[in-house]
Amino acid sequence: MDAVAVETAAILVPDLLGWVPLQTGGDWMFVWENRRFLLLGTAVTILLTLASVGLGFLLGLPAGAIEAYGDGRLQSVVSTVGVALRGTPIVVLIVLFFFGLPIPRQLGSIPVLDVRMSGFLAATLALGLRSAAYQSQVFRGTIQSVGEGQLKAARSLGLSKPAAIRHVVLPQALRRSVPGFQNEFTIVLKDTSVVFAIGLAELLRRGYQLFTQPGRQGAIIEVILAISLIYFVLTFTTNRLLDLLDHHYAIPGGES
Amino acid sequence: MSKVPESGTSAGRAGTSAVGELPTARQALLAGLGVLFWGWLIVRWSYDRLVAPSVNVTDREPFVPAGPLEGVADALSTVATDLGALGTPIGWLAWAFETAALGVRNLPALAEGALITVQLTVVSILCGLVIAVPLAVARVYGGPVTRWTALAYTELIRGTPLLAQLFVLWFGLSLGPPVRGLPGVGGPLPSAAVVVAMIGFTINSSAYQSEYIRSALTGVDAGQLTAARAIGLGKLAGIRHVVLPQALRFAIPGWTNEFIYLIKYSSLAAFITVPELFRRARDIGADTFRFTDIYAVIAVFYLAFVLTTAAAMRHFEDRTAIPGLN
Amino acid sequence: MTLLAFDGVTKHYGEELVLDAVSFELDRSEVEVIIGPSGSGKSTLLRCVNRLAEVDNGTIRFDGEPIGDTDADELRRQVGMVFQDFNLFAHRTALGNVTLGLRRVRGFSKEEARERARRELEQVGLGAQLDSYPAELSGGQKQRVGIARALAMDPELLLFDEPTSALDPELIGEVLAVMRELADDGMTMLCVTHELGFARSVADRLTFLEAGAIVERGDPERLFTDPRSDRTAEYLSRLTGEY
Ligand SMILES: Nc1ncnc2c1ncn2[C@@H]1O[C@H](COP(=O)(O)OP(=O)(O)OP(=O)(O)O)[C@@H](O)[C@H]1O
Ligand SMILES: [Mg+2]
Repeated sequence: MDAVAVETAAILVPDLLGWVPLQTGGDWMFVWENRRFLLLGTAVTILLTLASVGLGFLLGLPAGAIEAYGDGRLQSVVSTVGVALRGTPIVVLIVLFFFGLPIPRQLGSIPVLDVRMSGFLAATLALGLRSAAYQSQVFRGTIQSVGEGQLKAARSLGLSKPAAIRHVVLPQALRRSVPGFQNEFTIVLKDTSVVFAIGLAELLRRGYQLFTQPGRQGAIIEVILAISLIYFVLTFTTNRLLDLLDHHYAIPGGES
Repeated sequence: MSKVPESGTSAGRAGTSAVGELPTARQALLAGLGVLFWGWLIVRWSYDRLVAPSVNVTDREPFVPAGPLEGVADALSTVATDLGALGTPIGWLAWAFETAALGVRNLPALAEGALITVQLTVVSILCGLVIAVPLAVARVYGGPVTRWTALAYTELIRGTPLLAQLFVLWFGLSLGPPVRGLPGVGGPLPSAAVVVAMIGFTINSSAYQSEYIRSALTGVDAGQLTAARAIGLGKLAGIRHVVLPQALRFAIPGWTNEFIYLIKYSSLAAFITVPELFRRARDIGADTFRFTDIYAVIAVFYLAFVLTTAAAMRHFEDRTAIPGLN
Repeated sequence: MTLLAFDGVTKHYGEELVLDAVSFELDRSEVEVIIGPSGSGKSTLLRCVNRLAEVDNGTIRFDGEPIGDTDADELRRQVGMVFQDFNLFAHRTALGNVTLGLRRVRGFSKEEARERARRELEQVGLGAQLDSYPAELSGGQKQRVGIARALAMDPELLLFDEPTSALDPELIGEVLAVMRELADDGMTMLCVTHELGFARSVADRLTFLEAGAIVERGDPERLFTDPRSDRTAEYLSRLTGEY
């Protein structure tokens, strides 16, 4: 079992080491030599983030609209599922989906990236559904902030309620959602590292594989700092890109 | 404060909370379950410490036997098999009872893990707060150098994954052995891995908490500090006695979110060997090969922690509410 | 006996000249009212006295000492300030607003502070509102708490920055009554206010400030009846015309 191996390594490794201060040259060379390996991990991280945030958007937007406008059973079901997803740790969701869902293990691997399809699907579902639960909160809030007046005005023109929501309320709500969405995007990006729990070869897992290689314990801190830097660059650029998006949308509307 | 604050002064500010609101009918039921859950935990923790401290976690007996639940599960699955295809819903019911039986059988071990989860969360959120307040004050009122340093700290922490931060402390810096050597660690204090996890969570949550406090500080009217200074209070004293008491009240909803995040993320301590709730479940899963079932059980544990914390914090917010603030 | 003296005080905000060679003297127990159009620098002048703003040139002497030589916090203890929008500590009751300075600045014990604060609040007619939070008070009551808060520090000089401008007309009287009482008790006061009735009946000096410079200063009655500057005449007639 993969999980057991992780555990054993986790117990043994620090004991073998003692106190290891930052090392010089050679260990950074080791990181550099493995740049391709780490960059592939970065690609997995990005792919996983995009898939999860995308799934979260596709489900979170309608869920937010239902929470804002729906009534009765449907709304109650959506908000209860939302509470369950937001109230459970992401690592528990990931392992639950990984072990609990009947995803066929024979799906094979994603070429080049060396990632098992089954694990990738389970991780995307867990991260994506949880993100949908958070995104629904963002969208519900901004939909409500657009206000009843806009909806009434649209309906008085003869639009049906769903059409009014779709063509009048949502476009305005989406613009206001960029900051909340930005926050959620970076949360997903950072939480892809939790997929470590099911051994998927994303960035953190690959870093771990590098420094647990026999004889490479000296390079632990260099490897972890290198991957932390990559994560930082990813969150930083994501934030700047979404700032641009926010800026782009803020100008014509005036009201942010 | 002899005046009772009007209840509901803060009710309008529920906003987007980290968990959200359940439909009202379910809330009363959950309140009852929450009391039951915490009652059981406290009795269990006290019992294990006072009555049977020497018994190994895995050998402890649950207060309620799992046998009857297993009996029901067995009976149901027999019925299900007899009914063939029609029996599927009954089969699910049988699974629910089996899972409940598995959970009950392992309640003592899970309670032990839950204790560490609670310790990790409470200690880290409070230590994080102690760092977050000066950090936020530095961001808002500091000179260019302190402001920039505080900004760099929060951005670096918030820009990297928590699990990577734990790895830096545990694998990278190998904090385990030196912490193990500290007086009291593993004795009256928790074990080395728990302490290292607390350090990691404290650092991480201090950055997030300081963001909430910073935005609360900027929400306090500038005239408040001016008035404080006008009666002769120094800048720091004015911040301490006038601005912070208001800002910290504004920050309660955000702080609740952070508290709830930390409850959930405390599960990541499992990856640096801390035997908290998630790791206990993983061990039980490895023993029984019933990963899904035991993870479903602890999902309920976490939900109980999160929902009761959210409710308690709402109560706290109402208790500390002051007319006209918020 | 001069308590406050401005000597050629100049102040800029960026490029903008806000105070332009302002000089005047205020004796102990005197009440001075400053009037002037919006943006003429009245608030800035007051804020320079307790060093909430620093001057560029010239000197301000308080009790004979240049204010730059005393510790700013100590100076502020001796110079009380009352604000247009009250600035009551929003998280503290009326009593708590007054005790804060007593406890943290003057080092009173908790009991001493409560006792003194209670007396100050009774003095301004708020004996029944001790435990009310600012949000539960009317504008006039808030401003009286503001005055009590300043008085509790035993100031030698009180600065008022448009203390009644944010009040509904029917609440202005109660605040002016408290100010009048203070003047009668011999408090030295520097007031920015457009309550001309108060200026005429209570003030010893009236100053007209425009574009950061003193246009005219003198006995209030004389400024009303026999202004030397056309600008003063024009401004005063505009003010009285409005009322
Ligand atoms: N902190 C500041 N920074 C920059 N400029 C300022 C500041 N405070 C005041 N000013 C400027 O200085 C000038 C004088 O302002 P001040 O508030 O002293 O006027 P005032 O006579 O009190 O006006 P009002 O009757 O509107 O209160 C104004 O042009 C104002 O814009
Ligand atoms: Mg002014």
